[in-house]
Amino acid sequence: MSRDEYSYVGKSIPRIDSRSKVTGEALFTADLKLPRMLVGKILRSPYAHAKILDVDVSKALSLKGVHAVVTGKDTAGEKWGVFRYTRDQQLLCVDKVRYVGDEVAAVAAVDEDTALEALSLIRVDYEELPGVFDCRSAIEPGAPLVHEDRPRNINVAVKIDVGDVEAGFKRSVLIREDTFAAEEDSYFMTENYAVVANPHADGSIEVWMPNASPHTKAKALSNALKLPLSQVNVRKITIGGAFGGRSDVFPAEFIACLLSLKSDRPVKLVYDREENSIATRMGHAMITTIKTGVDPDGAVLARDIVSYLDGGAYSSTGPIATSVPYLCHEQAYRLENVRFHGYRIYTNKPVRGMIRIHGRSFACGIDTQLDMIADELGIDPVAIRLRNARRPGETTPTGSYVASCGMVECIEKTAEASNFLEKREKRPPNRGIGMGINSVQTGFPLGIRGGSQAFIKFHEDGGATVVSGVVDNGQGNDQMLVQIAAEELGVALDDVRLISADTEVTPTDAGSYSMISTFGGGAAVKAAAEDARAQLFEVASEMLEADPSDLVARNRKIFVRGAPDVGIPIAKIVRKALILGRPIMGRGSFAPDVDQRREWISNPKGQLSQAFSFGATVAEVDVDPETGRVQALEVACAQDCGFAVNPMLVEGQFEGGVAMGGQGGMLGEEHRWHQGHVLNPSLLEYKIPIIKDMPAITPIIVETIDPGGPYGAKEAGMSVAMSAAQAYCNAVGNALGIYFNHYPLTPERILDAIEHKKPGIQTAWELEPARIIKSE
Amino acid sequence: MKKQLLSMTVNGEEVNLAVTPNTTLLEVLREDLGLTGVKEGCAEGVCGACTVLMDGNPVRSCLTLALEAGGADIVTVEGMATGGNLHPIQQAFIEHGAVQCGFCTPGMILASKALLDRNSDPSEDEIKTALAGNFCRCTGYRKILEAVSAASTGHTEPRRKE
Repeated sequence: MSRDEYSYVGKSIPRIDSRSKVTGEALFTADLKLPRMLVGKILRSPYAHAKILDVDVSKALSLKGVHAVVTGKDTAGEKWGVFRYTRDQQLLCVDKVRYVGDEVAAVAAVDEDTALEALSLIRVDYEELPGVFDCRSAIEPGAPLVHEDRPRNINVAVKIDVGDVEAGFKRSVLIREDTFAAEEDSYFMTENYAVVANPHADGSIEVWMPNASPHTKAKALSNALKLPLSQVNVRKITIGGAFGGRSDVFPAEFIACLLSLKSDRPVKLVYDREENSIATRMGHAMITTIKTGVDPDGAVLARDIVSYLDGGAYSSTGPIATSVPYLCHEQAYRLENVRFHGYRIYTNKPVRGMIRIHGRSFACGIDTQLDMIADELGIDPVAIRLRNARRPGETTPTGSYVASCGMVECIEKTAEASNFLEKREKRPPNRGIGMGINSVQTGFPLGIRGGSQAFIKFHEDGGATVVSGVVDNGQGNDQMLVQIAAEELGVALDDVRLISADTEVTPTDAGSYSMISTFGGGAAVKAAAEDARAQLFEVASEMLEADPSDLVARNRKIFVRGAPDVGIPIAKIVRKALILGRPIMGRGSFAPDVDQRREWISNPKGQLSQAFSFGATVAEVDVDPETGRVQALEVACAQDCGFAVNPMLVEGQFEGGVAMGGQGGMLGEEHRWHQGHVLNPSLLEYKIPIIKDMPAITPIIVETIDPGGPYGAKEAGMSVAMSAAQAYCNAVGNALGIYFNHYPLTPERILDAIEHKKPGIQTAWELEPARIIKSE
Repeated sequence: MKKQLLSMTVNGEEVNLAVTPNTTLLEVLREDLGLTGVKEGCAEGVCGACTVLMDGNPVRSCLTLALEAGGADIVTVEGMATGGNLHPIQQAFIEHGAVQCGFCTPGMILASKALLDRNSDPSEDEIKTALAGNFCRCTGYRKILEAVSAASTGHTEPRRKE
């Protein structure tokens, strides 16, 4: 069907949740207030690495107003890990603390002042241990071990080797090896993490928290609390942003549950900004060495990459985090011979997770080096990208078939919209223009939780309620589901109610962290609506004496195609169906067509994701060589999102992606350290972009209508954030004639690079390469 | 700490309560009055999520002691709509897709109201200056800028089509 034939999908319709958000009615977790609710607070380690010798809570327990205190003794050392083989994070530390902020004990008290006083009364005896604070020193033989059973502090080692890399290098006319580094970045979602736990007499517990998959949270809590999954009910709540930072399971939700079960009262635990920064997740610091060989036209013949990711104290999503930067790259570019060694390394620093622009040093390194190669060969940046860009119908090196791909169109359209080649040719001094391209997965093989299901029930007045496990972190998933349901059911948007992301009621879903909400959750709702509509057609066909296949549902009526005036109201059909004993109950499901045997470390081959998005961004900047300050002037960003279910929302994702990935991610966002202490955990010192920083943005939606997605849709949340970081990086480099290899590009780095500017085509700084780690 | 009496007008209603001198306006609004549209994002006056209007001026309620609001006229996002009708700024935020996660939205709307009440036809730069202290992590600010500009009196462009 063409876009014009749809009633709701493909249209820029305001979001159903926006009214409650502009009036202040929308409740976030910290806004919840329950009768007899207590305040929870967590005691955290002041040391980066220390043995716990003793924890004495007796004084805290005897303080008036304290209702519960928990320590590692209450948890029997219960551990969390995303994978069975990465369960390394004790939900409350028992024997050792591994970063400044590690959870040691917690209290529940009648108010915040009492809870804080109780924390101050807990005595913990530590024996401080030497720590490791960066990848290189952590892998030195003899370095202190963060986890005693992990030699050389290697948490995860991923190896991918496709084709014949050495032969590819032999055939190359030009080979470059360069090393790129990026510091830790952070989410800084506007809402701080919070959790509310509410125990019930029947043994069940309700939990609210910002999350990217209520079902994953419920399963982890059920395991840790030793409660049946059906008794752990993670409820829907408004969520103030995620960007990858709400995907994992955190000790705090377990602790809140423990405190509430122990006190038999609801407990609310709200993080302050500093806790949100250090004790949820942050982005990895990363060093990447890239060796690339090309033919005379700039086609890549071989590439060999080694990455070190500073993972912090625990695994989190380690195997995924280690692999994804490489995988995005192998989707974006054609590669026959490629090798990747990725190491995630433990350090005594806060835990790292996936972030919207995960792997800055990798993605920006690939694109920066490509620009260097293009310059050496005398090719322009657009041509070398087009030469190497992925096309539809191809297969990635690790074996994913790419059914739809608009990479070429994204490159061409952003180049055209920005007048790239002409501007690159005729630049005023200190002005630069750069391009970045990238690709993102739409879902991963996640076993039984990789799919999504949905139900639809009809009300007697013709309204419908959709039940789906999809969670909305702020991106507009709720709106997406409602637009799809209304489209298929032929009812008005206002007729559709949505119950979502509540594990007691809603069926399972893959979560919003792998960019699969529209592709998977949207597809399940579409299937459920089609099922309900087929049931409506069955009943209507008897009433209209027509064949069901000739019927159309639209404008709250069902009619024979071409005769909308003699239709029957859907409400009437719903009531008729009730009388006939054939009530309308739609159900639908989605299971991704991926290779479930694929595993991140043991078997990194096979279909990774059913669909992939592709994107390109061009940024134009002015750099002040006196101050090192960068002013972004214009950004053109394109993404092949398959099909834009709601173009206004897709544009919002692109624009937010430019802010987070390019403006913030490349120009200033980084954490600073004194050993294991984060020096800038607050919004005052960690600079995220404000409205005045933002350039003019031209969003370009590219649609390739993926055969597997609902209406052809893929994902819209991540690709631009990544390509924007790469584009900004190359634009600043172009302005100064410098190839930057240490990110983000803060004024001090820019000034340093200008001061030490090197002749010829080489990176700004000579960084020690990341090498394969032998003897594991 | 000894409590003191506080009288102020909040969203048009007179409020009398006893608070300790170290209580912030944010705490009184959220905890005592249940106005949870006032958000705490940073607790140090940086992010603007806690913005409320005090006698028409945008203030950080997290840095304002409740007793400083004695006798003042406070408006929170809950006081923007009248008789079930949204304020034109609220309407513009909805129509222009300026709301994503919504956590910064109340503060953004109130900072915008303070601007438009004073300058009904601001330039793009004036809007940016007025909103420079309100952080949004989702939108990249483009649609917020569009929404505020659409809600200003000088705006004659047709509203965004579906």
